[in-house]
Amino acid sequence: MVAELGLVGVAAILLGLLLGLLAFGVWIGVALILVGCAAMLLVTDVPLGPVMATTVWASSASWTLTALPLFIWMGEILFRTRLSEQMFLGLAPWLNWLPGRLMHVNVVGCGIFAAVSGSSAATCATIGKIALPELKKRGYDDSMSLGSLAGSGTLGLLIPPSIPMVVYAVAANVSVIQVFLAGFLPGLLVMGLYSGYIIVWSLLNPAKTPPREPTTSLAHKLRQSARLLPCLLLIVGIFAALILGLATATECAAWGVTGALLLAWGSGTLTRDTFVQSLLSATRLTGMIMLILAGAAFTTAAMAFTGIPAALATWVEAQQLSPYVLIAALTVMYIILGCLIDGISMIVLTTVVVLPMVKQAGFDLIWFGVYLIILVEMAQITPPVGFNLFVLQNMSGRDSFTVARAAMPFFFLLVVAVAIITIFPQIALTLPRLAFPE
Amino acid sequence: MIRTFLDGLYLLAGYLAGGFLIAIFLLMMALSLGREVGLNVPAGDDFAAWSMAALAFLGLAYTFRSGEIIRVGLVLDHLHGAVRRVVEILCLLLGAGTIAFFAWHAVAMTYDSFRFNDMAQGVLAVPLWIPQLGYAVGLTILAIAFVDELVHVLRGYPPRYEKPPPKTPEEVIERAIESGV
Repeated sequence: MVAELGLVGVAAILLGLLLGLLAFGVWIGVALILVGCAAMLLVTDVPLGPVMATTVWASSASWTLTALPLFIWMGEILFRTRLSEQMFLGLAPWLNWLPGRLMHVNVVGCGIFAAVSGSSAATCATIGKIALPELKKRGYDDSMSLGSLAGSGTLGLLIPPSIPMVVYAVAANVSVIQVFLAGFLPGLLVMGLYSGYIIVWSLLNPAKTPPREPTTSLAHKLRQSARLLPCLLLIVGIFAALILGLATATECAAWGVTGALLLAWGSGTLTRDTFVQSLLSATRLTGMIMLILAGAAFTTAAMAFTGIPAALATWVEAQQLSPYVLIAALTVMYIILGCLIDGISMIVLTTVVVLPMVKQAGFDLIWFGVYLIILVEMAQITPPVGFNLFVLQNMSGRDSFTVARAAMPFFFLLVVAVAIITIFPQIALTLPRLAFPE
Repeated sequence: MIRTFLDGLYLLAGYLAGGFLIAIFLLMMALSLGREVGLNVPAGDDFAAWSMAALAFLGLAYTFRSGEIIRVGLVLDHLHGAVRRVVEILCLLLGAGTIAFFAWHAVAMTYDSFRFNDMAQGVLAVPLWIPQLGYAVGLTILAIAFVDELVHVLRGYPPRYEKPPPKTPEEVIERAIESGV
């Protein structure tokens, strides 16, 4: 049948089918499987069912994947502790002197929590729970606190561990640890951009920042921050193990769960109830992601039969596009896509179609993972489906328009971050190359 | 009677999946600690991989019923009344059909492994049908859950996987975290 339709025809049918199924609310994993079925029925006589059963089994019974549920569980446990209160009290005394003062708690707090959590919404919610009311009470500008929180929450995705990074690494068949390591410096870069913006903004609007709080003694500061110590130790431990190659990503994740359980136990929030809840939440989230990954694994196999990814790759090569043009075009596409679907689906759809193209154009797949994660971060703070906006809208009681507008400057800062890591890919690639010399 | 049985089945499979998560955790800790003291868990990596598949697929029906299998609400959220019901039934028909087909072939694959006595290639020669059991059973339970839901909606009830819009900030946060990003 492919002869009459031609490759473009087949591609158009499949794309139309996928968009139609997704738009009408068919579960994403199911929609992917159906598109895979359609692709195979159109171009080959190879029996569908056995290919489906074996490819999905081979991709799911995977040792690398086990890092995913463990990191998810670790985040679920920590989310149920009192870390958020400790974070505000512990950080506030140290950031008081900067222009913008306690608004930097949003950036630094989210950055630290991001290093133990793999989710942007969880990071945003955990830090926001305390920071939002505290900042409001002290008279900080509403729009700036909301925006910086929405933006900083997305660091949860870029600073490892990160759920979408594991999904990308598995779907793109690259090393989880390398993608994790690659996200670290860009994460610091984004924090720098955010804090820099807050400083410039406060210097330009001195009337909108409350006066500096009375300084306390060093001993008092240290006492306030001491409770953050276990969390910081956990972070340092995880990173040291990753960078020094002491443990695999999965072992790090298991140690992370151990650390999180100890932290929860130490803070008295580890009860039978919270334990079971965290376990079941982690199980459900794992199931949700795995169904999408299963659909993606089968669709990727089915697409290979059609020859579309290879044809796309050849076409891109024939266009002689400069890498920058390609990245700019992809960025626009992803920003639009990010307004329509969630981050995990964005990544999975990408690996089915875009990866062969990117590989052909000569991009490093580890670098591309970091690039993609920053675009998913943008999707988190663009309406109508940005989850961080959704969280903040409800925590602050403001309408969606206000929150989206507050987050806008931080969206553009992420665009700047994308430009910087595209021009200087070393920012992402230095750490993985250091740990894994080629 | 059937209701209690099915709901119990989904929940039980969900708890089993949770058990496999604990198993992965303990196994990984054992591997990591064992290496320090020179103890090795034979085929530990294989067992972790198989537990992963069991965790993923056994938990699916429970996840589906909790309304956490993700879908795009772009059009769906703006439909109401009879139109919404028709779209919901179409989605469930497609879902039930696809997952039943998938489950059927997963079962066939597992049965083939059993029939031909396929063995794992790793350190321990475990018959492959044993780890594949979680995959086949999990998908079969998911297919049952889909058909269950289809019948439920056809009888005129609203789908059970649909959650009311969140009211408290805590609910909103929980909902957002369920998105995984």
